[in-house]
Amino acid sequence: MYNIRELRAEFPILSRVLPNGKPLVYFDNAATSQKPNAVIDAMSRYYKTYNSNAHRGAHTLADEATTALEAARESIASFFGASPSNLIYTSGTTEAINLVAYAWARRNLSEGDAIVLTEMEHHADIVPWQELSKEIGVELRFVPLDLEDMCLDMGAYRHALQGAALVCVVHTSNVLGIRNPIEEIITLAKESGARILIDAAQGAAHERINFKELGADFVTLSAHKMAGPTGIGGLLATNEALSQCGPFLTGGQMIKSVSTDGSIFRDGAALLETGTPRIAEAIGWGAAIDWLSKIDFNQMHDHIKSLAIMAFEGMSQIDGITVYSDPTRPGSSGTISFLHERIDSDDLAMLLDEGGFALRTGQHCAQPLMDALGVASTNRISLWLYNTEEEIKSFLSYLRMICERFG
Amino acid sequence: MADRTWPAALDPVVQAFENCFDTMERYELLFEYAGNSEMMLPPDHWNDDNIIHGCQSRAHVECSVDELGLFRMRGGADAQIVQGLMEITRIAVDGSSCEDVVVLNPDFVDAMGFRSALTPSRSNGFMNMLERVRNEARRLSEEHE
Repeated sequence: MYNIRELRAEFPILSRVLPNGKPLVYFDNAATSQKPNAVIDAMSRYYKTYNSNAHRGAHTLADEATTALEAARESIASFFGASPSNLIYTSGTTEAINLVAYAWARRNLSEGDAIVLTEMEHHADIVPWQELSKEIGVELRFVPLDLEDMCLDMGAYRHALQGAALVCVVHTSNVLGIRNPIEEIITLAKESGARILIDAAQGAAHERINFKELGADFVTLSAHKMAGPTGIGGLLATNEALSQCGPFLTGGQMIKSVSTDGSIFRDGAALLETGTPRIAEAIGWGAAIDWLSKIDFNQMHDHIKSLAIMAFEGMSQIDGITVYSDPTRPGSSGTISFLHERIDSDDLAMLLDEGGFALRTGQHCAQPLMDALGVASTNRISLWLYNTEEEIKSFLSYLRMICERFG
Repeated sequence: MADRTWPAALDPVVQAFENCFDTMERYELLFEYAGNSEMMLPPDHWNDDNIIHGCQSRAHVECSVDELGLFRMRGGADAQIVQGLMEITRIAVDGSSCEDVVVLNPDFVDAMGFRSALTPSRSNGFMNMLERVRNEARRLSEEHE
């Protein structure tokens, strides 16, 4: 049973009252999720009782920090159906994609090779490849959006795959909430002989992703969008892909030995983790994963979907509002982009903030998608497991009032 | 009315906002100022030279001195909240000396009930706009010395 009251009680911030006296209604989960006590306490406990550098010393605290860091890696990897040796801690999805661009692509791609991207990608999955293209002359092919039903044009994808060396596709759009047909996209990429990277920054917070079953070469993750802390995420990479990687950053824990004649590096995932690890953040992410492991993701998805459909239907009936998302589509994440034809998106966000509603406005780091939609920006609500029917009703009522007074 | 730190031209404006019943009424009044802007910078004058960085939406401001050496400004923005704040800033500075504009205090925005607009990270970029106007006044003052 999905007990929303008990679940919300685990997130202290959700009972916050804003300076204007309005209770917080948090609808900005695609930007970052809130954190349960389990995560806050785990990180606090680390700093209060065993803060120490991991892998670096014989004392008790160092041992405890190392044990906790690696236990978190095991929990996280297991949650994603992967081996701990296939999980590289990064600062988040952006760094994970850049890591693939630097450690794998620069060693395995050359001038004339093609990379398939989509118009739906976050800038983090576009700019590293544009930089690579400038550097070594790889060709970038963008799969367009089918504007009829706001999903990827799979015919264009099949065409773009011909002779491609790498495919990079977002699992779930941070703007539209659309869940792409990832399984089909991966199957087709593998059939064509291309490596494939899945940006799961949004998707991992909404469905259980199994790395081995999915079959992608790389999957990128951000902890803070799934109840974990900011500053940490991960790259899941297959053994085969890891064996083709070279060092990107050097120093710290990726070192096996150093002499004045040269250095010997560790291999596998360890090659790609440098400097002092993000210990507190990893422990926090591990706690988030342990906490999420107790959540029935099917029930969570049904809950979010029912709220998103309620919001979608209500917003669609308000004069002047255009909704760009369709949460009735299978797997949609509960992220809804919309605009009012007469109220500027910034004004609308400010006015909604006065009502206590935290949502986002802008390009959402997805300018090519904005261009495809023919808009400069959108307002976006993004729902997660702790949002409630009452919040949606209150939002719709407030939005209606704003549109009547200012539209 | 709170202790005045703003030009006298703003007194009736601040008074009107202080008389508003609630926040939503204040925003409605701000939208009215945006709509009534007599000296709005038309979109065909918006360019990279007069753009205000730090605003989420597009905002531009053009500053000059007239033949009497008095400061003049025109602003234009996509967002009505920014446009309204620009219009009120224009009322504050238009026809002033450049030296007075350089030291313009943003307290009037707080007195009008828009304290949140004074937070530098706010997407409406009011503080970026004010800083731009003050810098332009400083530059124009130095040019006309």
